[in-house]
Amino acid sequence: MLAEVQSEASSASGAVSSTVIARVTARKAVRSGFGWGLVFGFYVATQALAYATSYPTVASRELLVQEFGSNPGVSALVGPATQLDTVPGYTAWKCLAVLAITAAVWGILSSTRLTRGEEDAGRWELLLAGQTTRRGAAIQALVGMAAGLVVLFITSGVIIVATGRRSDIGMGTSGALFLALAIVVGAAMFSALGALAGQLSSTRRQASGYASALLGASYAIRMVADSDTSLGWLRWLSPLGWIEELQPLTRPNPLALVPIAVLTAAAVALTVYLAGRRDLGASTLPDRSSSKAHLRLLSGQAGLALRLMRPTLVSWAAAIIAYGLLLGSIAKSGGKIMTSSPSMQLVFERLGVTGAEAYLGFALLVMAMALCFVAAGQISATRTEESSGRLEYLLVRPLSRTSWLGCRVALATGILVAGGLLAGLSTWAGAAANHAGVRFSPMIGASMNVVPPALLLLGVGVAVYGALPRVAVSVTYAVLVWSLLVEITSGVVNVNHWMIDTSMFHQMAAAPSVPVDWTTNAVMVAIGALSALLGLAAFARRDLKGE
Amino acid sequence: MASHAIKTFALTKRFGDTEALKDLDLEVSEGEVVGILGPNGAGKTTLIRLLLGLLIPSGGRAEIFGLDCHSQTVEGHRRLAYVAGESNLWPTLTGAETLHLLGQVQGRVDTQYREVLVERFELDVTKKVRALSKGNRQKLSLVAALMTRADLLVLDEPTSGLDPLMEQAFRTCIAEARVHGQSVLLSSHILSEVEVLCDRIGILRAGVLVEMGTLAEMRHLSALTVEATFDGAVPDLSRVPGVTMVEVLGSSVKCQVNGTVEPLLRVLADSGVRELLSREPSLEELFLAHYGSASTGQSDASNAR
Ligand SMILES: Nc1ncnc2c1ncn2[C@@H]1O[C@H](COP(=O)(O)OP(=O)(O)OP(=O)(O)O)[C@@H](O)[C@H]1O
Ligand SMILES: [Mg+2]
Repeated sequence: MLAEVQSEASSASGAVSSTVIARVTARKAVRSGFGWGLVFGFYVATQALAYATSYPTVASRELLVQEFGSNPGVSALVGPATQLDTVPGYTAWKCLAVLAITAAVWGILSSTRLTRGEEDAGRWELLLAGQTTRRGAAIQALVGMAAGLVVLFITSGVIIVATGRRSDIGMGTSGALFLALAIVVGAAMFSALGALAGQLSSTRRQASGYASALLGASYAIRMVADSDTSLGWLRWLSPLGWIEELQPLTRPNPLALVPIAVLTAAAVALTVYLAGRRDLGASTLPDRSSSKAHLRLLSGQAGLALRLMRPTLVSWAAAIIAYGLLLGSIAKSGGKIMTSSPSMQLVFERLGVTGAEAYLGFALLVMAMALCFVAAGQISATRTEESSGRLEYLLVRPLSRTSWLGCRVALATGILVAGGLLAGLSTWAGAAANHAGVRFSPMIGASMNVVPPALLLLGVGVAVYGALPRVAVSVTYAVLVWSLLVEITSGVVNVNHWMIDTSMFHQMAAAPSVPVDWTTNAVMVAIGALSALLGLAAFARRDLKGE
Repeated sequence: MASHAIKTFALTKRFGDTEALKDLDLEVSEGEVVGILGPNGAGKTTLIRLLLGLLIPSGGRAEIFGLDCHSQTVEGHRRLAYVAGESNLWPTLTGAETLHLLGQVQGRVDTQYREVLVERFELDVTKKVRALSKGNRQKLSLVAALMTRADLLVLDEPTSGLDPLMEQAFRTCIAEARVHGQSVLLSSHILSEVEVLCDRIGILRAGVLVEMGTLAEMRHLSALTVEATFDGAVPDLSRVPGVTMVEVLGSSVKCQVNGTVEPLLRVLADSGVRELLSREPSLEELFLAHYGSASTGQSDASNAR
């Protein structure tokens, strides 16, 4: 990469070109924007096509409306379903919330990587030696990022428009483009916020943390707003709520673009302003450079790992607890409607499950997904210790590779189990506070039920890390994203069952609405453990590898 | 048994097509201070990382105090300390926290000596690593390694980034280590450092140990520089056996002599020499003589990483 920048810098006839940062950033952002544009576009296309083929008749569509139409529990999770009996209405409901959040995450990760990340890696120092000022560098990076957003919009827009032209789908061109826009503004807002966070913090990780916290808060606000019609006004306090207010393909409301544009512009302006006022590599918020020694945890590698992960773990725990309380508190209304049809009620009664429990069985899937992100984060942290060269300080001392990696795996397992318990307990507490009729012991079972997919992913990640460290992080996230996509895509419509089986979430029973499938869980954990053992063995037999 | 601090047996390491180390046999006795020189990409870091078990050999093996570097790392690492040329410590820990942690992992620290070292290197241990300059981070790594008083110090360009004063402090530490009976393997590009500190010097080139011995031995093998000024005409020295690199400057001449000086002396005596100056080559001259042109082939391979 350094060589890339250097050659880029020198290619402009000897002198450092004044737009080199913009071009380097744009190239990366455009590449990633194109890739994700394809993913978004095809996601919308498959949803629309699958709906059109699975629900061809008016009768079948009305059944769907009955099931999901005005369920506040479902609305809280992915937004309200207003016109489920039409292809565009269904498509907008199925895609908007999911893709806007995905786009926002993409925005945060790309903008912090391309701004703060590049700066942390020292690549800008090389370029700033030329004529560019710090403020100029920030503007250039933002311009490059904007190019990526434009490509994201064009790529996904073209595919959605093309899909909409089919007669059995019937989305107008402007409606299709408005949907693409609604998705991409999620990326725009949060990449601007990510860039701003990059100015405020002293590392890329910290910046992503701040921006993700904002995303989490705006999801939580939107969730509350959609859980009860009387709280609808809350939507205007959440960036994700604004996106929902755009209502593409159903009742388009361009007015909601105003707060979106204002927030984005304000974040960009503040980013540029702050960039000129701080040193390269420094942060704007106070960042203490010295401190008293806190030695309590530092008696060995396990304590060190905990100490380094503490901020991340605390934010995950806070997010899981907050989300659990929210889920629990909407479980009652969510459950009422799930058991509203007599046939469904009969099914749940026979299983001995209350309505709220039925709802949670379906909603707790999100917790399993969150824990998988925690597991992938553990693989990433493990690899970073090696690639940064810090691991050497431990391994040149009397500490074997097997104990180091084994200890990390054990820690990660403990963290995931604790995360599952937190998820179950907080959801139960939220439900109990609302007298939703959720019993304690099934929730404990359900809380352990969300852990095995994460343990499986952890084991697979360790196996790849042991054998091929340089690709371990991307492979782990790829497996996770694949499972997420398969799981989200399946849901209501039919997808080839072989494909569904490749999603680890699909193997999970929907406890507490159905009994926990301990056999399947044991198999998942066993596969994970076996992979981890293979990874440990491979790690002891390879070279340590830098970046 | 283990009177060797380090012993390698045909140690070989390949990275894809690059053969970074070829059948290397190296011995460092207990209590000995050995320096390793070599141009960029010669394989010094590779050798050291193999000794530490961070790399797995492609062939051959290595021992530290008779303990295999690959299969008995934990036992071996109880007796060694390592400093790399680049310090990548945990940015959020302070110096004191770093020293505490690494001491705990090592399991053996001479706390009194640690305080001496912190003072000697003028370290501010309350600062977080991310707020330290490159040289100060390097000093922290040095203290973390030296404070263990390990039986073997493995040092890979340990003074990179240090100012001359701190370089001096480092030399004091190595002198102390020698008194203490510790063994040292030191790779460096600072020739004066190696010249002053090391009992024996090895020169590595393209993964092969091309020279190994004391400085005196190496000088003996190498050329002597002779400068002579004549009253009359300068004689033609280029055909005298053992004489190379003849440079004539007015009435004086400078040349290199390999092996015996007798033929040259005979010619000089016959030609009315007025002044005669001869000196042994410095390590720098030895090094340059070894590398001059031959090094270029390998040295750029390191950029390919
Ligand atoms: N991880 C690696 N992958 C591929 N090649 C490598 C790797 N590490 C080292 N090499 C190659 O091995 C050779 C020896 O490298 P090494 O780092 O040991 O040199 P060195 O003597 O320490 O050089 P320097 O004086 O620059 O530190 C070089 O040609 C280098 O390109
Ligand atoms: Mg080196």
